[in-house]
Amino acid sequence: MAIIGKRLVNQVKTTGLKATVAQRADETFQRLTTGLSWDDVRGILRGDPPPKPNPRVKPHTEGFWFHIRPTFYHEATTTLYPTFRLGLLSALFFAIEIITGIYLMIFYTPSPERAYSSMIDIITNVPFGMFVRDLHRLGAEVMVVVVTLHMLRTFITGSYKKPRQFTWFTGVVLLIMTLGLSFSGYLLPWDQLAFWAVTIGTSMADAAPGVGPTVNLLLRGAPDIGAGGLLRFYLLHVVLLPFIGIVFLAVHYYKVVRWGISLPPEMEAVGEDSARKVSPDKRVNFLPDIATNEIMYIAIAMAILAISCATWYRAPLETHSNPLVTPNHTVAPWYFYWLQGLLKIPHIIPFLPADIANGIDKFFANVIGITPKVLWGIIVGPLVFVVLAVVPYVDPNPSRRYGQRKIMLTIGGLFTALILYLSLAGIPTGVPITGFGFVGGAPSAEIGQEFMPDEGDGNLMRIPFDQMVVGDYQVTADANVANAPELNAIIKELYYDMQRRMNTADPNGRKLSADTVAQVKIAEIQPDLKQITLVINYTDDQTSAAQEFSKFKFIHRDSEH
Amino acid sequence: MALFLAETAGISVLFALPRFKEGQFGGKIAVSVTDFPKVSDAPVANNLGKFWMVTTDKGLIANYKVCTHLGCIYAWDGLANRFACPCHGSQFQKDGTYIAGPAPRSLDTFALEAFDQAGNPVGQSADGSPLAVPANAVTIKVNTGLKITGKSHF
Repeated sequence: MAIIGKRLVNQVKTTGLKATVAQRADETFQRLTTGLSWDDVRGILRGDPPPKPNPRVKPHTEGFWFHIRPTFYHEATTTLYPTFRLGLLSALFFAIEIITGIYLMIFYTPSPERAYSSMIDIITNVPFGMFVRDLHRLGAEVMVVVVTLHMLRTFITGSYKKPRQFTWFTGVVLLIMTLGLSFSGYLLPWDQLAFWAVTIGTSMADAAPGVGPTVNLLLRGAPDIGAGGLLRFYLLHVVLLPFIGIVFLAVHYYKVVRWGISLPPEMEAVGEDSARKVSPDKRVNFLPDIATNEIMYIAIAMAILAISCATWYRAPLETHSNPLVTPNHTVAPWYFYWLQGLLKIPHIIPFLPADIANGIDKFFANVIGITPKVLWGIIVGPLVFVVLAVVPYVDPNPSRRYGQRKIMLTIGGLFTALILYLSLAGIPTGVPITGFGFVGGAPSAEIGQEFMPDEGDGNLMRIPFDQMVVGDYQVTADANVANAPELNAIIKELYYDMQRRMNTADPNGRKLSADTVAQVKIAEIQPDLKQITLVINYTDDQTSAAQEFSKFKFIHRDSEH
Repeated sequence: MALFLAETAGISVLFALPRFKEGQFGGKIAVSVTDFPKVSDAPVANNLGKFWMVTTDKGLIANYKVCTHLGCIYAWDGLANRFACPCHGSQFQKDGTYIAGPAPRSLDTFALEAFDQAGNPVGQSADGSPLAVPANAVTIKVNTGLKITGKSHF
């Protein structure tokens, strides 16, 4: 300290205070910017052409944070096309998830006794807790979309071809990590949606021959999901999968920089990869142009995410998980609908008669010895990812040009269409219009599920609280409760829905009996707390016995619906 | 190197596999013989062990509460006298035999052991067939760690 003080005093004596401060400040500034002086930075911000020698590469050569970023891009890769900046956005959303996840970790407890109440605490009692949780949830879903679009773009532009085959392979691993992270996080709120979606997902692991039960036990920590399962999924979600993800992201991005971002196919000769040979007039420097461009994209993406969470988006939290009650229409997360659809093959193949579909099931089970669940869920399901991973290694065509890749592009298009169809078939209501893949119970239960679902909102619950006038109402076409137009509208909607189900059989061939009558009963059981009951009296189509279907829910004036 | 990795993987798996005690799901659950319903009565649920206690004229059965299709919890339909699953509509008879629906096989059951007053074993069923209860049996232990897969209906 004494020596530094002496030097400082000497410098002030020789050059004056102002000059000393300026020199010291500039030196500190250069250390912080890894070699850029204040004048260099001013030049960058002003948009001056870079001087020679160019100090703007110093953050790249001497610094850690910019070391892996390229010092320049080819100008043809800086426009929206061909990359749409999807790779950047994928990495951005990963970063958003990590940061919002760490915030959530401050308050979340991964134990069955505390998980749900810690979620309620986060969304009601923590400043911006609901906002951070919504960011995390929406960010995760958007990340799955962005990562898939990124893969689709890379496929369409043929950027997976030599020399970038391994980059594609690491990308498929990252896709699997993304889906795994989304799925493991799905369980953590410990509500009905989480619990049952993950139970069904892991029960597919149980079905795998041989190692299945062991894998199931390892994942769940018990034959069914409980404290062990929640903790293991938590560890997967916050430790193992992010770690593997970061390692593969590092390799992936290193390869991207090593080979350079591929140019638009029309710009290169067939079989040539000239991404790294960029003449100086085609170079766009990272500092400042690419950096500011990236900041813009990041700002836009985050603005959209934040504004969505502040306005229309609300992450769901259903009732507390109940291991003894499975809600109707339990589904996997939307990015796994295609897997649910796969499990329904061959019954969702259009125009295939049911007998032949059943025959196919029997053939595989008895002759080959694999049940449909194992065949489509355990064998074909992972096969989809294997197929994706080997695309660059089996594609013999050296050309990236669209006109010369008709076969591959067609295969890609068919594959995408197939995944979309399987996703539609995977939801409980099945493919729209055709009803393929429909799974449902009695029509009365289906009406109950539609207007008053086990979990989440139906139309009956969305009526404004003050329009839920206390009384018992027959469901008819001319409901006429005073001062309750929305209640009347929903009762009429119920009536027409019932009529439709009486006239048209559902995909399972079941109809509501013609003598069905229904009632909506509303009672105020405590101040500001109402109970809505839907009662349907019908004749069961299978047993011909008179039956009553009854379902009720509570709603408070301040409930969020 | 490969051997080392294989050993590490093996030890990790052994470490991570859960262990169960008696009285915990995954271990043996003890119930009294009288807890089982009569032959003509509806099945009785045991929620700790996650099984239905069923008495048929051939003996006792413990049906695992999880549907053999995709893991939902099926329910007892008293009016139709069968088990029915709310998720995808699979149906099973009281003794677990598959009736209809997308489930690939009949219900899974747990191994049963019967013990007398002194704690001596007096009977057991480890293959899924009903346990014929001897007259001196007092306690039935349902081994929820030993699940017997139901018969495929294909």
